[in-house]
Amino acid sequence: MISQSSSSRVSRCRICRPRSFTVRHESTALHFYQNKQLDLYASREAKRLTLRQLVFFGRSMTEERLIQSANYVRTELPVRIAHRLRDLQALPYVVVTQEGVAKVYELYWSAFEQFRRYPPITNIKENEAFCEFLRRILDEHGSVIPNLSLGLSISSPYLTPDALDSFMRRMLVSRISRRVLTQHHLALSDTFVGKKSTRYTDSEPRVGIIYTGLDVRRSIEKCAKLLKQRPSDVGSDYEGVEMGAVSPEVVIEGNLETKFSYIREHLEYIVFELLKNSMRATRLKHRQSSSVPPIVATIALGANDIGIRISDQGGGFNFNAHSPQVKTPSDLCSFSHVRNPQRMEDSRLGTLRSVSSRREGVWATVHEQVESWQKPQDSENGGGNDDPGKKAGVGRHSRLGIGLPMSNIFATYLGGSLDIVSLDGWGTDVYVRLPKLVSLR
Amino acid sequence: MNSRLHRPLTSISSRRGYITPRRAPAANTRQVTELLDKHASSPPRPLNLSALLSFGRPLTPESLLASVSYALEEIPKRLATRVRSIEALPFIVGTNPYVSNILSSYKQSFLWFATYPTPKTIEENANFAEMLEELVEIHANDIPTMAKGFQECARYLSPEEINQFLDGAIRNRISVRLIAEQHVALSRAFQSQEKACNFGVVNTITSPAQMVRMCGSFVSELCEATLGASPSIVIDGYPDSTFAYVPVHLEYILTEILKNSFRATVENHSRQSPATRAQSLPPVMVTLSPPPRVTDSACRSSNSSGSNSNVSTLSNFYSIRVRDQGGGVSSSHISKIFSYAFTTAGRSADSDSNPDAYDYGDSGDGGGPYAAQHVGGIAAIAEGVGGGGAGQGNLFGEITGKGLQTGLGTIAGLGYGLPMSRLYAKYFGGSLDLVSLEGWGSDVFLKLRCLDEAGDSAI
Repeated sequence: MISQSSSSRVSRCRICRPRSFTVRHESTALHFYQNKQLDLYASREAKRLTLRQLVFFGRSMTEERLIQSANYVRTELPVRIAHRLRDLQALPYVVVTQEGVAKVYELYWSAFEQFRRYPPITNIKENEAFCEFLRRILDEHGSVIPNLSLGLSISSPYLTPDALDSFMRRMLVSRISRRVLTQHHLALSDTFVGKKSTRYTDSEPRVGIIYTGLDVRRSIEKCAKLLKQRPSDVGSDYEGVEMGAVSPEVVIEGNLETKFSYIREHLEYIVFELLKNSMRATRLKHRQSSSVPPIVATIALGANDIGIRISDQGGGFNFNAHSPQVKTPSDLCSFSHVRNPQRMEDSRLGTLRSVSSRREGVWATVHEQVESWQKPQDSENGGGNDDPGKKAGVGRHSRLGIGLPMSNIFATYLGGSLDIVSLDGWGTDVYVRLPKLVSLR
Repeated sequence: MNSRLHRPLTSISSRRGYITPRRAPAANTRQVTELLDKHASSPPRPLNLSALLSFGRPLTPESLLASVSYALEEIPKRLATRVRSIEALPFIVGTNPYVSNILSSYKQSFLWFATYPTPKTIEENANFAEMLEELVEIHANDIPTMAKGFQECARYLSPEEINQFLDGAIRNRISVRLIAEQHVALSRAFQSQEKACNFGVVNTITSPAQMVRMCGSFVSELCEATLGASPSIVIDGYPDSTFAYVPVHLEYILTEILKNSFRATVENHSRQSPATRAQSLPPVMVTLSPPPRVTDSACRSSNSSGSNSNVSTLSNFYSIRVRDQGGGVSSSHISKIFSYAFTTAGRSADSDSNPDAYDYGDSGDGGGPYAAQHVGGIAAIAEGVGGGGAGQGNLFGEITGKGLQTGLGTIAGLGYGLPMSRLYAKYFGGSLDLVSLEGWGSDVFLKLRCLDEAGDSAI
């Protein structure tokens, strides 16, 4: 682990330095006194934008507005990162020194410094450079989610469940918000200069990363189709229990014409994860039969929100040894091992470790998962015999366990909700509600 | 004119040929006060369900007499608590005629129990049981009566006070009726030498599917009569499953839930013409799921005691889901639906002008199809207060059957259905939740504790 003593000892002991940590040149004493810069930024309030404002702003792009957007991102992000750093600093000492958490702390500090020192942007060319900078940071921080999950799972004994879960929530919500702002600016820049986006390849109407006519049924169909094509060894960690071969159908009902403005990536992640869980449960419960009951997705158009209900017959909770054994369904979204004992399981931790050390990290998107299915098993980066995941006997595609908590964050951070209800012995219903922006012009 | 107001309040004067109404009713007599104090102060013996049921297993003359002795001890205690809690309400509420009628009715019943000599023989018990049964009938319409009273007192009581009072009162009432009905059932069974497994309040092979069909047909009739159409019910899950429960409780809860679902479904699809409406009404789906038994040999449940029975202790609840396409509950209403006396009946579909207004007030605004229900509801009350009971020719009278808890034979009206159903569900440790998919429909999740393994339930 990191040596906490003076700088001289650290610089001498190069061999002891774990290879996954960035080198800390200053001693912790110096770090303490230099915290003043951070306090300065942390004392500022975040300037939040609503989804509506993002769309409105992005609709009529001019060079001037693009530069404005760039500088907003440049000045806003260090403030928010500073808040996160202060939050980390408030955690118990023993927690932040754990693997995973320490890594995230270093990453955030590095980002903070870089943003803080970045000069103002005044023209398109500088914006191009800024966009490159942003892309690099997004990339570097790809491993935050697994590292944080790993670190906090291990630290679970040192924190009350409430403190742990509320901390994780603040971190993840902030992360999503920052990435939304960043990616939105990147998308707007690309559109403005006429660059063809590699990410958003279809012709559906959008402003930046917000799809203004997001067709809910189409998104559900897309996720269902992708999951059908999923290789059968992915996500299996049942130690000898064979999952059924037949994948359940997804039936869609409800207000089928529903369209609204939303970040498509988020909606599809949520639906993807929920369908994934439902399929897994259904296949497991009905593994003896040749036909499996379908999963029913219901779309509802409410006055202020869009509702999606995913209803399966996968047995619900407390059904057998493989179904979630939690007191209440919402405990599945908890990172505390007190609420969700699976967090401390060796296989789970092993998977998180192995994924944390991978270059690409985990961005919590559908795209990255689908891509990973196509990669052959043995050509992973940073794998090999040192892979702790391999040592723990888990496959490359073993479950991380972040699908539900991340879906919960995605659903709730703009004011929506995600509720899980189990009909023990029969199946599970998950209700997602996402806010509807009224009359976007 | 003024002289009337100044007339002394302590005496009823007949000097001038008319009676001055008292403003403040008389206090309890000393006998009543002493009895109330005695019974309200000694805490009710914490009887649990298995103890209550034990009087019938096996049923012998001795156990029957033990049962009546128990009933005569426990019921007055609980009635005394009830009397005291009503007397603790604000004075002005107590002067409301509906409330004061309930109060005197309870006092009378309390006195009857408190002064009744304990039966020492089977014949004496038979008399007692007969009168006990009548008493239960007399109190059949308590809840609608109290509801009406509270409706009129809306400006003197906050919703929280009402909720709190009613929660306690209804819980108390359930206990009393359980004890009373158990004893009545035992007495009957003893007389007829019944050997069935379903005497007493608990039926070990209650069939939810059967109850759903029964309640469904009743609600369907009501719905057709009121709204002109009704949806069908589709039962899935495990329709042949049974469990141990108090059938009348389940009956009440299912009826209320189905009433809501049926009403919502019809109202939501009311735009269509009546001719096609019947075919196009989406059915109400009821899914039945008995408590899962873990038989997996790979069971590594953390609760496992290492025994080979492999029976899951994580869930001994029977689950029922009622799913409708009634349009859901709007977000402005969702926090209120478990509040007593909140109802959307009686308002026209377009009058969401003040969605935050509770329908607490003295709303005699009988517009729309529910006007009859208000009348029916009041008719039910009026009969009940006078000491009538079931089958008195009420237009929407009480459902027949043994000891149904309330006289609410209306499709919608007083707004007590959901909160009371939830209380009933929670009584033995279960739950009732409603999840709404606004714009599409609602799901009600009912979880009921299986009473064969719930002996430790405190009642």
